[in-house]
Amino acid sequence: MTARQLWLRIGQALLVLLATYTLAFILLSALPSDAIMARYASPDLGLSSDEINAIRAEYGADKPLIVQYFTSLFGFLTGNFGYSVQTGASIASMVAEALPGTLALAISAFVLACIWALLIAVAASFSRGLRGFVLGLPSLMVSLPSFWIGIILIQLVSFKLGWVPVIGASPVQSLILPALTLSIPIAAPLAQVLVRSIEDVERQPFISVVKARGASRSRIFFGNVLRNAILPALTIAGVLFGELVGGAVVTEAVFGRAGIGQMTVNAVANRDTPVLMAVVVIAATLYVLINLLVDLLHPVLDPRVRRKERA
Amino acid sequence: MKKRAMPLSSIVLALLLGVTACGNVTQHASEAEDDIVTYLEPNFFKTLYPPSAGFYANGGVLNQVTDRLLYQDPETLELSPWIATKLPEVNEDATEYTFDIRTDVTYSDGSPLTAENVVKNFDLYGKGDKSRKLTSSEQITNYDHGEVVDEDTVRFFFSEPAPGFAQATSSFNAGLLSDATLDKDTTGFAPGKATEIIGSGPFVIEDEQMNSSLTMKAREDYDWAPAESEHQGRAYIDGIKYVLAAEESVRTGGLVSGQGDIARQIEAPVEKHLQEQGLTISSHSTNGVTNQLAFRFRDPRLSDIRVRQAIIAGIDRDEILETLFSDSYPKANSVLSSSALGYQDMSQYYVYDPDKAQRLLDEAGWVRGEDGIRSKDGQRLTLNINEALPQPRSREVITKVQEQLARIGIEITLNPGDQAAQDADSKDINKVQIRHTMVGRADYDVLKSHLHSDNRDSLLNLDEETGELGDPELEKLLEQIASSPREEDRAEASAKAQRMMAEKAYALPLFEEPQVYGVQPYLEGFEEESIGRPNFYNVRINHDRLEESQ
Amino acid sequence: MNTATFKKPSVILASIILILAVLAALVPGLFTSHNPLSGTSGALLSPSLEHWFGTDSVGRDLYSRVIYGTRQSLLGALVAVLVGLVVGTILGLIAGAQGGWLDALLMRIVDVLLSIPSLLLSLSVIILLGYGTVNAAIAVGITSVATFARLARSQVISVSSLDFVEAAYGSGASRFQVLTRHILPNSLTPVIALAAVQFGSAILQLSVLGFLGYGAPAPTPEWGLIIADARDYIATSWWLTVLPGAVIIAVVMSANHLSHIVQKKAR
Repeated sequence: MTARQLWLRIGQALLVLLATYTLAFILLSALPSDAIMARYASPDLGLSSDEINAIRAEYGADKPLIVQYFTSLFGFLTGNFGYSVQTGASIASMVAEALPGTLALAISAFVLACIWALLIAVAASFSRGLRGFVLGLPSLMVSLPSFWIGIILIQLVSFKLGWVPVIGASPVQSLILPALTLSIPIAAPLAQVLVRSIEDVERQPFISVVKARGASRSRIFFGNVLRNAILPALTIAGVLFGELVGGAVVTEAVFGRAGIGQMTVNAVANRDTPVLMAVVVIAATLYVLINLLVDLLHPVLDPRVRRKERA
Repeated sequence: MKKRAMPLSSIVLALLLGVTACGNVTQHASEAEDDIVTYLEPNFFKTLYPPSAGFYANGGVLNQVTDRLLYQDPETLELSPWIATKLPEVNEDATEYTFDIRTDVTYSDGSPLTAENVVKNFDLYGKGDKSRKLTSSEQITNYDHGEVVDEDTVRFFFSEPAPGFAQATSSFNAGLLSDATLDKDTTGFAPGKATEIIGSGPFVIEDEQMNSSLTMKAREDYDWAPAESEHQGRAYIDGIKYVLAAEESVRTGGLVSGQGDIARQIEAPVEKHLQEQGLTISSHSTNGVTNQLAFRFRDPRLSDIRVRQAIIAGIDRDEILETLFSDSYPKANSVLSSSALGYQDMSQYYVYDPDKAQRLLDEAGWVRGEDGIRSKDGQRLTLNINEALPQPRSREVITKVQEQLARIGIEITLNPGDQAAQDADSKDINKVQIRHTMVGRADYDVLKSHLHSDNRDSLLNLDEETGELGDPELEKLLEQIASSPREEDRAEASAKAQRMMAEKAYALPLFEEPQVYGVQPYLEGFEEESIGRPNFYNVRINHDRLEESQ
Repeated sequence: MNTATFKKPSVILASIILILAVLAALVPGLFTSHNPLSGTSGALLSPSLEHWFGTDSVGRDLYSRVIYGTRQSLLGALVAVLVGLVVGTILGLIAGAQGGWLDALLMRIVDVLLSIPSLLLSLSVIILLGYGTVNAAIAVGITSVATFARLARSQVISVSSLDFVEAAYGSGASRFQVLTRHILPNSLTPVIALAAVQFGSAILQLSVLGFLGYGAPAPTPEWGLIIADARDYIATSWWLTVLPGAVIIAVVMSANHLSHIVQKKAR
């Protein structure tokens, strides 16, 4: 990749970021009701319309939309995330509080999903009799509504069996059931890809060679097959990780965990645009960065592309 | 197969995370060395600014950390001294209130609670401060200013009579805060800042996990409980842990499995289950406007009193209460709860009589169409009701109403949407014609809060476009309630207003809405303040019973 | 794969389940005589011969609500898939066939769609369009436009480089003719396979919206809403949550299973 291509790519990424920001701003502004209404017109406060209008002016929410757009954009550009209208909380501190929880959940669910996938792949290779059943597991796992799993897991594992507390749990304990819930639908596609690539590898000639040398079955599997089969699974794993963060929303809602998902759903319900714009900025930046990174690293990782470029 | 997967998964996780997840970790949050009560709340607080404390979760926190000038007995609703040393002196037309205050009270940051500080509190709550985005309290009306008379006397002045002020000083919406706290703007009262909210109450906020939990510790030197209280001095327990448990099933399961000690908002069908499991159900009336359907009579269809009367006669409240609710939810006989100040029994106006309902609709010229729904001059008799999301089982109530009114030929639709959509749509008579709502406040003023065009205007009496009132007479009565200096006059105006609401068929009261808590049997002394927010000051853990239950 | 024996009965079973589901959606009256919208017997009754799935918290027959809910849920999933399929394929087709700046522009639009968190996007679309099954379905569909567009584009690009397409151009066919007669039909199979997979996931996504309170307005029977409403009573009436959940799983699993077969055929 030449320097010019690189700059072009970065320029495009920035453009996507700006376009996303603008689209999200327009979309959220178009929603009926707004953050001021949601907070100050709530019957809990019993305020008169005059008082609500005065507050609206104080927030600058009575200014033309284009002014609000540039005010908000300028805020983000200068690193000022602003405050939630619904609660008045600083958005930077909300994110700082929520993001680690969501990441911890996503990462542990991801690790767990990899373990599930591995277990399924191994079981499918070794247990001939149960193979059909084991191969059917992923399609069951991907068919379970995640909130349904969560609710049932809480009832059974925590309340009936008493293995893990849900209330007053330590940070590690409080991760177990949500991570389990979130891992199930993610594990399914991983397992399917892994099983398929194991089959592909097993058919390759070098495996027959190793077999002919008299290596034991499990030695071949763990020593040769698995090592070669895991690569394709890892590529899809990257894609799935993105989905995880999205899937965290429901899990967080069921388990009452503070996190980005919970924050998003609450902010939508209260039309809390500043918070939602912050969520969009974070998500879009992450997305654009990851894609940029993949594009830049692609030649480094894939020898074929590297060779072509040299030629 | 799922059963097999679960032990496996927990083993894997235990290895993975380095914990022993397999042991029996069920334990009572209230441990022997430290009496900490775990309280399960369906919502996290949104702000700790007292005038905004109407939202259940906000008030539930403020009630523990702030004291008030006066104390209101939750049963008798009588006012008695608290931070004020005696009941206030009030001038003839209720425009001047003079309080003598205690001088030995300190805030938890050590600063003294002084006369200046009390005035500073009410100047903010009475008028708000737009520049800091802090609003005035709905309960403090016509406030002009406060004055320090001497070091233990304050006087408040009102532009118009404000007979509700004494009660307003007793509610958590007027919880006293330190000078430093009062200087904050709206962001200072937000989640994430809870530990900076300094009150003089029996508990102090010690730790906050934003949007998930809040830890309060008992204040050792607390020594100014309400004069009426037998219990003086420090709280019995050492602290409270507020835990967000939004899912009803988590709160219920948390109680049954012993992971929590008290849970708010227990749904009626679950009450029996909890009792069978040995838990106590504690319910307390919210002492204000009952849970009701308010008919917006400016709507052309509802402007005919016969249609409103038909709806009232067509709804079988007994069936609704029996199917959906429990003994904690008494049938309402007026727009006010039977325990509210000024209550009058109007039950003769709210009788179920489907035949009469049909007759009234026939007389009013509404004719049944092919699908059974009536119409007149090409207009269908379809009315939209909002879903009152904070109220118990609102959607189910409306579903039942839908079923019952369909029998007499009225079609009811449920206004869909989240809280913001419901609030916005409820202000538009073209979207919501029947408002499902309630208001909790233990004062005569509650009717004004409910119906006056400057407040919630549940009936949408005011036409925002023309500025005209649909029923000026009602508005006048409400103003009389809120501004008659003498209590007898307020009671009389309230009785008149209730009668008018009944005679004109403006609303159908459904039930007296309680706050329902599930409480562990080993907890003693759990109480609710006058509109049902929890009060932990008198709570103690009976350790003998705690051991029994383990 | 040597699983032909295992596959056959499972394919039959999956087909039967789907056919039953479609039947239930078309003529729910075949399966139940209860009214899904009103109930007179008590609330929260446990399953019995009279009420196979028990009654819900308002006293309505749960089984009949699940049956009548099939229509909403299948229709919703269908609309969601169609929105993603049609819009996404058109975008991908144009981008792949035209190339150049238009391709770059369309793909950046796709990037923008993917950058907004999908749940936020679908909730906003619902609030904007109004509540209801079809609107919720459109919202779910919009979030899958990007995936379809990317797949269609890559297919079009790889098909375009094949010999017979070149030959078609050579024989004097117009650009549009080549596009519709040769490129589109040959690119479509993997896209259709993706649509089949999306069908199952759309049912689940719709049920999540119901769970979050943004699904069809009550009292419409809709699967997500049925479970969401029943979840409060799981400690006392577990069947209210578990049985409708089992129905969703059966249908989604059948749809997924058949879509796998389609995919294999496509390869």
